[in-house]
Amino acid sequence: MEFLVCVKQVPDDSVEIHLNPETGTPDLSQADPEAGAFDTYAEELAVRFIEENGGSVTVVSAGTDDNKTCLKNSLAVGAGAAYLIADEGTDCLDSAQVADLLAAAAPKIEEQEGKKFDVILCGKESTDAIGGQVGALLAEKMNLPLVENAVEIKSTDSGISVKQETDTGFMMYEVSTPAVVTISKPDYDPRYPTIRSKMAARKAKIPTLTLSDLGISDLASEAAVSSLGFAEPKTRQAGIKINESEPEEAVKKAMDQMIADKAL
Amino acid sequence: MKYLVYVELKNGRPSGAALELVSAAKKAGADAAAVLAENGCEDAAAEAAKFASEVIILDGAALDPNGRPTEDYLTAALAKLASDEGADGVLLSAAPFNRNIAPRIASRMGAGCITDVIGLSAEDGSLIFTRPSYGGTVLEKQSVIGGKVVATVRSGSFDAPEEGAAAQPVHKTIAVDDADLRAKITEFIAEAGEVVNLEDADVIVSGGRGMGSEEGFKLVEELANELGGVVGASRPAIENGWIGRTHQVGQSGKIVTPKLYIACGISGAMQHVSGMMDSGYIVAINKDEDAPIFQIADVGIVGDVHKILPLMIDAVKAHKAQ
Ligand SMILES: Cc1cc2nc3c(=O)[nH]c(=O)nc-3n(C[C@H](O)[C@H](O)[C@H](O)COP(=O)(O)OP(=O)(O)OC[C@H]3O[C@@H](n4cnc5c(N)ncnc54)[C@H](O)[C@@H]3O)c2cc1C
Ligand SMILES: Nc1ncnc2c1ncn2[C@@H]1O[C@H](COP(=O)(O)O)[C@@H](O)[C@H]1O
Repeated sequence: MEFLVCVKQVPDDSVEIHLNPETGTPDLSQADPEAGAFDTYAEELAVRFIEENGGSVTVVSAGTDDNKTCLKNSLAVGAGAAYLIADEGTDCLDSAQVADLLAAAAPKIEEQEGKKFDVILCGKESTDAIGGQVGALLAEKMNLPLVENAVEIKSTDSGISVKQETDTGFMMYEVSTPAVVTISKPDYDPRYPTIRSKMAARKAKIPTLTLSDLGISDLASEAAVSSLGFAEPKTRQAGIKINESEPEEAVKKAMDQMIADKAL
Repeated sequence: MKYLVYVELKNGRPSGAALELVSAAKKAGADAAAVLAENGCEDAAAEAAKFASEVIILDGAALDPNGRPTEDYLTAALAKLASDEGADGVLLSAAPFNRNIAPRIASRMGAGCITDVIGLSAEDGSLIFTRPSYGGTVLEKQSVIGGKVVATVRSGSFDAPEEGAAAQPVHKTIAVDDADLRAKITEFIAEAGEVVNLEDADVIVSGGRGMGSEEGFKLVEELANELGGVVGASRPAIENGWIGRTHQVGQSGKIVTPKLYIACGISGAMQHVSGMMDSGYIVAINKDEDAPIFQIADVGIVGDVHKILPLMIDAVKAHKAQ
């Protein structure tokens, strides 16, 4: 099975992001760039699949030259090839533009790699914008079947079976390939690179696809949503903190406070 | 201007989140046409008719094993219906199912899609949507290019609608090509355990990694029981198998707004907090006095959950007996 995994480079999701008071934009200076958590789950799922059944994993990311950081990391954890989409205007994209770029890139990458992708994977959502749109938009643009929030993919005679996580359980799907699948958190974690695989990835060449390579002449006209700026959410004030050596005393104080505040 | 408002059912009735969409549409200056498509939605349609200016029941939907329309069907049907009805927008509650189909409907309508809307305002004739980014620590304002919009709206962001003139539900059938029904559903595997309704709970008691074990987690369940509340959990508690996935609160779980939220052995990571920070009153129990959860707690108890919780369960019992 040939996989294409779409990876977005995002700021480290364990760092709390707030607005820079001077610029009014999110201050990302304290958060190292990395691949989105769900993209790493998608890649791990694909790599496990090919380790068992054969095939290949190729990764692609749209953004700036900077995205080579996360693409190299992808190569170090099992991807066989990586492509970057970067050009004027690709530093600031909305979901529709990303989907357009990826839809145009997929056949170009197929040409260069000399293989057809059976499954295109996206994360269920990015961890910065949390739009949860690109996978679905990509399936629409490419006119492919789609299953979202998947935690398992198996091959069948005619395509793949996919296990979708839902509110109350799991929905089992069968779809023909090629197909787009978005990935939720499976019950395993992504692997870490080894020193050797990291060294090898550092030397790897990552081809860049430009807008003209993709035949896109007017990227701006593909946008569907505009950003009008940012705001801080209203913050919650911390209330009282009870720090007693005797738990009985702590619980009594807490109960008294909750009753006084009519929280009970 | 008209917006379609998709109404899913909860226990046979329109979900609270779906009815709030009627208020959101009104705020956008649009008439709301409520659309229902689930198996056995007649009663719910009659109830929705008290609030919406039109109610449309889609007959002949392709249904999944739970009697709900499939994603492929509803994507095609809502996009076609929007075009038939001349609707400029489609609003859906931000449930996972709806988040899956919203971008696809937008793509077919040539509309912009906005996820997790929590606020809406009209300025100089254009609509401005507010949504959380970066796990909720930043809000972003967006507008759609071209005017057509498909949005998923977080529950609790808009008021419940007021009753208006009663609309008469009409039945419609939307022909959906087989070619549009591409993902074949073969089976539904229900998760063991009871149905959890975290979204509508007044009291939630949640446990995290700090509960230590499945045995330890039982204290959380016991306190929830005493308070007549529902059990929530952080992701590690679920990954450790102490409780089912449907109890997860947070970015990848449920966004909850109970009157009282008690967090036990939960550190307060952004991905958890973004799911519960709009609770009315927050109590946190954590042995680490610097745990971030204390920054948003109305009452923070520094202590060991295994000592605090049994005492608190007794105290609640005593309080109830009064
Ligand atoms: C993309 C993504 C999505 C995510 N989505 C979610 C989500 O939806 N929901 C979610 O919850 N998490 C989510 N997470 C995980 C999240 O980042 C945190 O890892 C998680 O919330 C931490 O859970 P916790 O507080 O239970 O555990 P920890 O962070 O390990 O905290 C345990 C706490 O328990 C305290 N403790 C330990 N023992 C005791 C004791 N005996 N008495 C009292 N206190 C004690 C410790 O001091 C500590 O503060 C997500 C992560 C990612 C990357
Ligand atoms: N710039 C990008 N380059 C490659 N893939 C992307 C990009 N943006 C989003 N994606 C993919 O789409 C998924 C959902 O992103 P989003 O719709 O932004 O939440 C991500 O998890 C990625 O798999």
